[in-house]
Amino acid sequence: MEATASLPEWRSNLAMIAALMARSKNELLRVPGAAIPGVLAPTIFFLGLNGVFGALTQLNGFETGSYESFIVPVSMLQGAGFTGAAAGVNLARDIEAGWVDRLLVSPAPRWVLLTGTVLSASARSLIPASSVFAFALLLGAGWPGIDGLLVLFSMVAAMAAAAACWGSALALRFKSQSAAPLMQAGMMGLILTTTAYAPLALLQPWLQSVAEVNPVTEVIEAARQGFVGGVSWAGTWPGIVALLGMLAILGAWALREMRRTAR
Amino acid sequence: MSQLATNARVVRALGMRSLRQTFRRPQLIAPILIFPTLLLAIQTGGAGGAVDLPGFPPVQSFLQFMLAGAMMQSLMLAGNSGGIALAVDIEMGFTDRLFSAPIPRFAIVLGRLAGTAALGLFSSLWFLAIGLVFGAEIESGVPGALIVIALVTTTAMAVGGIGAAIALRTGKASVAQGLFPLVLVVLFLSSAFFPESLMIEPAKTIAEYNPLSFVVDGIRNPIIAEINASDLLDALLAIAGIVVLGLVLSARALRHRLRVG
Amino acid sequence: MAAIAVQGLERAFEDVLAVQGVDLEVDEGEIYGFLGPNGAGKTTTVRMLTTLLLPTGGRATVAGHDVVNEARAVRASIGVALQEAALDPLMTGRELIRLQATLQGLPGEEGRRRADDLLERVDLGAAADRRVGTYSGGMQRRLDLAAALVHEPRVLFLDEPTTGLDPVSRKTIWEEVRALNDEGTTVFLTTQYLEEADQLADNVGIIDSGRIVAEGTPESLKAEIGDPHIQLQIAAGSIVEAEEVCARIGKLLPPRDGRTVLVEVANGAADIPRTVRALDEAGIAVESLELVRPTLDDVFVAKTGHHLEGESAEEAVGA
Repeated sequence: MEATASLPEWRSNLAMIAALMARSKNELLRVPGAAIPGVLAPTIFFLGLNGVFGALTQLNGFETGSYESFIVPVSMLQGAGFTGAAAGVNLARDIEAGWVDRLLVSPAPRWVLLTGTVLSASARSLIPASSVFAFALLLGAGWPGIDGLLVLFSMVAAMAAAAACWGSALALRFKSQSAAPLMQAGMMGLILTTTAYAPLALLQPWLQSVAEVNPVTEVIEAARQGFVGGVSWAGTWPGIVALLGMLAILGAWALREMRRTAR
Repeated sequence: MSQLATNARVVRALGMRSLRQTFRRPQLIAPILIFPTLLLAIQTGGAGGAVDLPGFPPVQSFLQFMLAGAMMQSLMLAGNSGGIALAVDIEMGFTDRLFSAPIPRFAIVLGRLAGTAALGLFSSLWFLAIGLVFGAEIESGVPGALIVIALVTTTAMAVGGIGAAIALRTGKASVAQGLFPLVLVVLFLSSAFFPESLMIEPAKTIAEYNPLSFVVDGIRNPIIAEINASDLLDALLAIAGIVVLGLVLSARALRHRLRVG
Repeated sequence: MAAIAVQGLERAFEDVLAVQGVDLEVDEGEIYGFLGPNGAGKTTTVRMLTTLLLPTGGRATVAGHDVVNEARAVRASIGVALQEAALDPLMTGRELIRLQATLQGLPGEEGRRRADDLLERVDLGAAADRRVGTYSGGMQRRLDLAAALVHEPRVLFLDEPTTGLDPVSRKTIWEEVRALNDEGTTVFLTTQYLEEADQLADNVGIIDSGRIVAEGTPESLKAEIGDPHIQLQIAAGSIVEAEEVCARIGKLLPPRDGRTVLVEVANGAADIPRTVRALDEAGIAVESLELVRPTLDDVFVAKTGHHLEGESAEEAVGA
């Protein structure tokens, strides 16, 4: 009577991931206005930071005279951070509601359950990223070129995945939405303690030291390439390595927490 | 006189409840203090070179300039948080209990504002302490610090009045919570984080007319310079304007709430 | 092979031992009722058997697989409907069961077919494409049950499946459980309702404060407590004489008040006619007469000294 899966395991796993991603889109499509906060926050940050700090480009050491161009990748990555952290908050809500028990009691491998959450966040991050990018172009940011655009949006999607691993790990650890501020603040801190506001040489000494060891600095620099000069492999690979490293560490932590839920 | 004393006791009791609610739930305080502190650290570290820009006001450091903006951000979040708490009371039915008690209606709002004022006071002390620890002195000394504390506390109450009005009007915590991006917008379009004269259009023009700019400048003045009566007066007038707006909106929203239940 | 075999199962939470050495065995094709008040350890036990919680002592196998070392094999063999019907209010009923089918590894077409069949079976066909958030409590429970069955599990765990439901919805769930069992599914059912355990279960385990205090068929457990008794109120005549008459028929029990006689009878309802005749011949008029059988609550009281909470709640609302 036990149902035997007649699909090869890899196909079954892919189908599970796709089904979980399909469920997560309901949040955007079936709750009126649900997409607005996720799009609004990074867009407001972009417009606000540009309006407030735009004069910084007058300082010696800025690679561009356009603060929009300088800051647009930061705001897009911030949007990715918000989206990933929100995935963690949604997971915490699902844990509180008992929904996650339904997933855990199924034979779906734990990594499949996590991948569904992470890939959903990655896909969703493209929405606020597109909004910020559109506003940036309207305000006169330079066109980054196709290669710059590809690098930029890939970094955004991968950053959202890393943020979703962070948020998921915290959700599984604390099993409560009250961990939400930690999810959001953690990502905000990680993304902004970098060359977000100004080039490395213009940062205050303490922030310079932090930015030098913060892997997200490499991600921002890679994402910014198309706006401040040209895209090169030398400028891109450190960002890729940084993202892969974050995904590996945060993903391993999230998976460990998922496997430990029965303790 | 005895009615006044009774009302004062009611306001005090509701105020104490509001304070207990706030300080017993760290997850409510943390965003009001930690988020602005984080932003203060990052913006000071990232944009600190701005003090070298031509036209930047003479300051000891960018931190000294930014303290007022951080306090402003914190008190606005506190006002928003007070609105959320009142909306939760409405959703839970607690306000019905208060409305059916023989207490003046305004006491309900005043009690809530007492909690917001306490948060404002706490945040002003917090950021003044941070400034002192990290080397940002208060140029006008103790009198200046007292002015800063007074302005931040009264502005928190004023903003809290608007938060309360929104809560009473909508009765929904989710609406109050959704206003957080608006807080950011209003702050960015003021002189909270940068001198107006150095902002980029159209933010610059908006900031020049934004009443919050007058409030922030009034809070900032004693920190970065000797007390300037003109800045102080502008700030007080702006705060008075927000108070009046809050009172009018709250009164109308209260009447609406009593009508719809 | 037993469908469920549990030896010395324990679960500690910091310094609280929620489950203290539970032993039980459930045969294939059996309905096992796990009965106990709130906080007795029922849900904790179920969560360990369904691999949601690791035991801190003892061992258990479900469908032949160890719950700790072969957890994934256990999950592939079981269907679970937990105490909180964990449903997504934004999904439709059809979407939810199809998702469950996918998570159970069923190929797309087969999963869709089974989902559609089950929705009809639990009478949710018409509501299948409505959002779960619009369903009543009874509909949500039926959907939860259907989702637990999509992969035709060998063992079905139902954690308080009818708590909070109206009598009609409860009866519907009972009928469905019986039908599943007739088809060969082993059912492990936790409940705080005596009637539910009495009506459905082949065997009952009674748990209190983390320990099994009694186990057996409902009838054997009740028989342990004693024979049924006749409870009669006399309308006219001497209570002392009535007691003398009844003492010749069965064993007198301590009286409750001055007008009621309680007599334990060995033959149950068969002793009623001769009791009535004997009282009539003695000139004693009977106002009311009732045959009271022992209940599982009597079993619980005998073993633990207190009533089941659920039963008390039912009595309180006159259910």
